[in-house]
Amino acid sequence: MEQKVATPIEKKTLIGSRVKKPDAADKATGKTRYINDMVLPQMLIGKVLFAGRPHAKIVSIDVSAAERLPGVHAVLTGKDAAGLKFGFVRDNVPLKEKVLCEHDEIAAVAADTEEIALKALELIKVEYEDLPAVFSPEAGREASAPQLRENFPDNKSLRFEFKHGDLATAEAASDFIADNIFRPHHVTHCCMGTSCAIADFDNNGKLTIWTQTQYPYNYKMDLAPALGIAPGDIRVIQPPVGGAFGSKLDVYPYEPIAALLARKTGRPVKVIYSREEEFKASPTRQAAIIHMRTGCTRDGTLTFRSADVLLDNGAYTSWGPTIPVIMMRTTSGHYRVPVVDFQAQAIYTNNPYAGSFRGYGNVQTTFATAQQMDILADQVDIDPLAFHLKNAQKSGEVTPQKSFLRECVLAECLETAARASDYSRKRAAYAAERGKPGRYKKGIGLASSIHNAGGAKIHKSDGIGTILKVDDYARVTVITGASEIGQGIDAVINLIVAEELGVPLEHITIINNDSDIAPWDVGVHASRTTFIAGNGTRRAARKAKAQILKAAEKMLGEPAAALELRGGSVVRDQCGTPLIKLDRLLRQMHFQAEPELVMVTDYYEPNSQPEGADHVSDHSAAYSHAVHIAEITVDTLTGEIKVDKITSAQDVGRVINRMGLEAQTEGGIAIGLGYALSENMQLEGGMLKNPCFRDYKLITAPEMPELEMHFIESHCAEGPYGAKGVSELPTIVIAPAIANALFNATGVRIFNPPLSPEKVARAIHETRQGGN
Amino acid sequence: MQDIKTYLSPRGIDEAVRAMAAGDVTVFCGGTDLSPQVESGARQYTATLMNIRRVEGMSGIAEAGNLVRIGALTTVTEIRRDPLVARVASILAEAAEHFASDQIRNAASLGGNICNASPAGDMINPLLVLDAEVELARWQDGAVATRRVAMADFFLAPRQTAKRDGELLTAVFFARPATNFVACFRKSGPRPALEISTVSVGIGGRLDNGVFRDVRVAMGSVAPTPLRARHVEAALEGKRLDADGILAAVAAAKTDAKPIDDVRASAWYREHLVQVFTEEVLNHVLGN
Ligand SMILES: Cc1cc2nc3c(=O)[nH]c(=O)nc-3n(C[C@H](O)[C@H](O)[C@H](O)COP(=O)(O)OP(=O)(O)OC[C@H]3O[C@@H](n4cnc5c(N)ncnc54)[C@H](O)[C@@H]3O)c2cc1C
Repeated sequence: MEQKVATPIEKKTLIGSRVKKPDAADKATGKTRYINDMVLPQMLIGKVLFAGRPHAKIVSIDVSAAERLPGVHAVLTGKDAAGLKFGFVRDNVPLKEKVLCEHDEIAAVAADTEEIALKALELIKVEYEDLPAVFSPEAGREASAPQLRENFPDNKSLRFEFKHGDLATAEAASDFIADNIFRPHHVTHCCMGTSCAIADFDNNGKLTIWTQTQYPYNYKMDLAPALGIAPGDIRVIQPPVGGAFGSKLDVYPYEPIAALLARKTGRPVKVIYSREEEFKASPTRQAAIIHMRTGCTRDGTLTFRSADVLLDNGAYTSWGPTIPVIMMRTTSGHYRVPVVDFQAQAIYTNNPYAGSFRGYGNVQTTFATAQQMDILADQVDIDPLAFHLKNAQKSGEVTPQKSFLRECVLAECLETAARASDYSRKRAAYAAERGKPGRYKKGIGLASSIHNAGGAKIHKSDGIGTILKVDDYARVTVITGASEIGQGIDAVINLIVAEELGVPLEHITIINNDSDIAPWDVGVHASRTTFIAGNGTRRAARKAKAQILKAAEKMLGEPAAALELRGGSVVRDQCGTPLIKLDRLLRQMHFQAEPELVMVTDYYEPNSQPEGADHVSDHSAAYSHAVHIAEITVDTLTGEIKVDKITSAQDVGRVINRMGLEAQTEGGIAIGLGYALSENMQLEGGMLKNPCFRDYKLITAPEMPELEMHFIESHCAEGPYGAKGVSELPTIVIAPAIANALFNATGVRIFNPPLSPEKVARAIHETRQGGN
Repeated sequence: MQDIKTYLSPRGIDEAVRAMAAGDVTVFCGGTDLSPQVESGARQYTATLMNIRRVEGMSGIAEAGNLVRIGALTTVTEIRRDPLVARVASILAEAAEHFASDQIRNAASLGGNICNASPAGDMINPLLVLDAEVELARWQDGAVATRRVAMADFFLAPRQTAKRDGELLTAVFFARPATNFVACFRKSGPRPALEISTVSVGIGGRLDNGVFRDVRVAMGSVAPTPLRARHVEAALEGKRLDADGILAAVAAAKTDAKPIDDVRASAWYREHLVQVFTEEVLNHVLGN
């Protein structure tokens, strides 16, 4: 092993550096082939006939003319899908025999082209008999309301409860109580790539489905009953997708419809939504009515928090009505609340139904809790910052639900954001300006929240499998369950492998889009992927490294403990002197008398407890906090809110990929701003009135405010390199920060988002009329 | 769905209007109104689709004597950047500034905006303030014939204009405003970018020693058609533009506006905004 004396290779870490997404150039130049672009040989196009009415009996359906149209290969209706029940409580079928919401799938066609398929839909004659319908959970609870589902008396869907301590005593001990009803609204994900699935059966009855799903493994379990096949007979392939944000965390009817059409025709079938269909037929964020009460003593100590939540279940049960699992964690864990009383009831209605959506329930609860913190601070008459700090948890505390806040830097987040934005001084100054004349008013608002940051064990497992191989050329392949849906896990995995194995980022390939190849993972949700897959990747890489260094020890005669992998070589850890190129070593390992290849496997299960029926468990391996301070200018006449600046401080555990972290924060804030200010599904009698981007207002580039981001590193013991999950908090905290700023500026509070110009103008106008 | 049988891309006005005389022609310019309308099923293409973007003599901005002529094909981007417009009719540039996004502005034509006849058409409002006329061409007795119609008389009912079948809008004319002419435009929607007007108000006139004359007021999105606000005009005409004058105009704005509730805003909000903008625009006029 004679080596030339080479220059030492310095030790330097990639953790915290800025690493590009490996697919960035392809996406920017249009080279990426999204699922929406995919065409398979012999592929047919599937189209769905939607009911277009909220509640009705199907009197008759005649598909004969559609079937006769040349180019049509199959027409399916509800009777072809009878009994194929799927969904969270098995209350959905791919094609319906009665109508329960506007976008109910009544029939589906597979044809040679989209034009023919659309023409065929026009030829299907359906006779409906409209039925009295339910358009709000309050109405659904009334004794006179029609019962929408056979097995659900009083239209009651899921129910959740958590109680801790004695509410009556805590209320009696409270000097101040904030008591409000909040009405978070329906919004939808607006993925750039509309929903799309391609299905193909082989002659052994095995299904291959190309889909945008963000949870490929449980997906098989959920899709199987919708087709009457075994989960094991499903192969899931995930081509690049144009966004998901939680909208692909369940099976939605277009996916089994594609598969049923494929089975019927024996050919691959692609179902892809138009933008209008996407607006109408994809899941929403869960709408809710939250009656929240929070109490405190005269010195500003929180005494209790109670929440009575009514959820608009919509027509079917997807993840939406399960959000109380997280809502109650915020109700019980947002600041130190000794007594908690939480209950939530979901009621079936004839509205669109909700799925999961970035922030999952916490967007809705924090809109309430964070405003009540502001309201109470004013009642006590102290600076909200002081009020927040007084009630902020510290490291080591345990919440009533047993969330263990091992590393908690909430106080540091509060102080950092407040200092950076000069919060306390500005808030007092703007409040003093409030009653005075002047059209434009400035306001500043603070909000914070808590969220799981180490997964959420709502399934039996929250783990991940990883397979890692290093080939004869020192190229690394990571085969992982972690899906890439745009959130940037590929860049994180590359960074971690490069950090551990000392190989260039470009020498790493990730295989994570085929359920027949990659091992188990729960899916992209709960801000978990960097935490879970980061740990899995690091553990696998370290196993590979141990194997490599052990071989090096044998060949070089130097102890493995004194060796390191750096710059594509084995080096002496202390001085960095390179001893052998890594690829050469790997070939020697391979071609020696006792050949060995470097291929390792790992299964990582985070140190967390299953959620459990009583909801008392440490269900995440880490928790984290974020604080947003929003500075706004309000036009008190038009009601327009201009967001001038957002200062954020978030406990990220440790920065892994700084570029990805910044992007996740910015993207999260953009979604949160749309929720706060402009996005709104306008439902009238269960029908969506604004299924287009002209009338459904996303935040656009000119509205993005200046962002000042502070990443606080709490060094999470369980996290990879100390990192925590980060992705949802930025979406969660922004809306109440703006609502609090609006109050600071104008004295007006709006409890039903979005804080649209019209609502703000009307509220200010009415206050002025009222002589305040 | 109607199939398009013929596609035409004429080079001359004569060629274009002759084709239109034959009937069944859909005129396509930037397509920024037409394509979404067809896509949503609100409208259908007819047998002949005629792209007019290459017709000569229908673009550009020029002075002709005392008149300013803007060709129908002129894009909103061109209007936004034109030095002549900036100098003599800045209200038009102002409206172009708040129009959609760069992508749309590059395709959207002046003629398309007028012919689409939406009460929210942002080019229409300032042209009403400038008292513009449209030039309409048709094929008659083997030759091109033209006529002019005042913008104030052009919009008859929702989506219905004085333009007859077979007529092509070729240009817009307005008299070069007097040197003491001042005008301002204001539009609003829930967000600053890419927004269809919830309400727009444009006001212009000559400021003659503090007295406002030849006042023209236009309102968008507060009635079934774009509107000249005659009550506001009457309240302002020949009066001093002072606090009292502005107050009277704001009160009159309520009389002119006949808004409805729709998916974008309630009638209450539109009526409220019309007053806010009338006051705001008048204050701007005063400030200029
Ligand atoms: C995303 C988006 C944002 C928008 N934002 C705005 C906005 O902020 N403000 C606004 O006012 N509008 C807006 N619009 C609407 C549209 O862009 C404008 O009305 C535009 O000026 C239309 O011009 P065009 O050339 O695209 O018309 P086209 O779509 O080509 O035509 C519109 C209609 O006029 C007819 N037509 C066109 N030219 C002539 C002619 N010379 N003679 C006779 N008939 C003719 C066509 O047959 C058609 O009926 C927006 C549209 C979109 C898609």
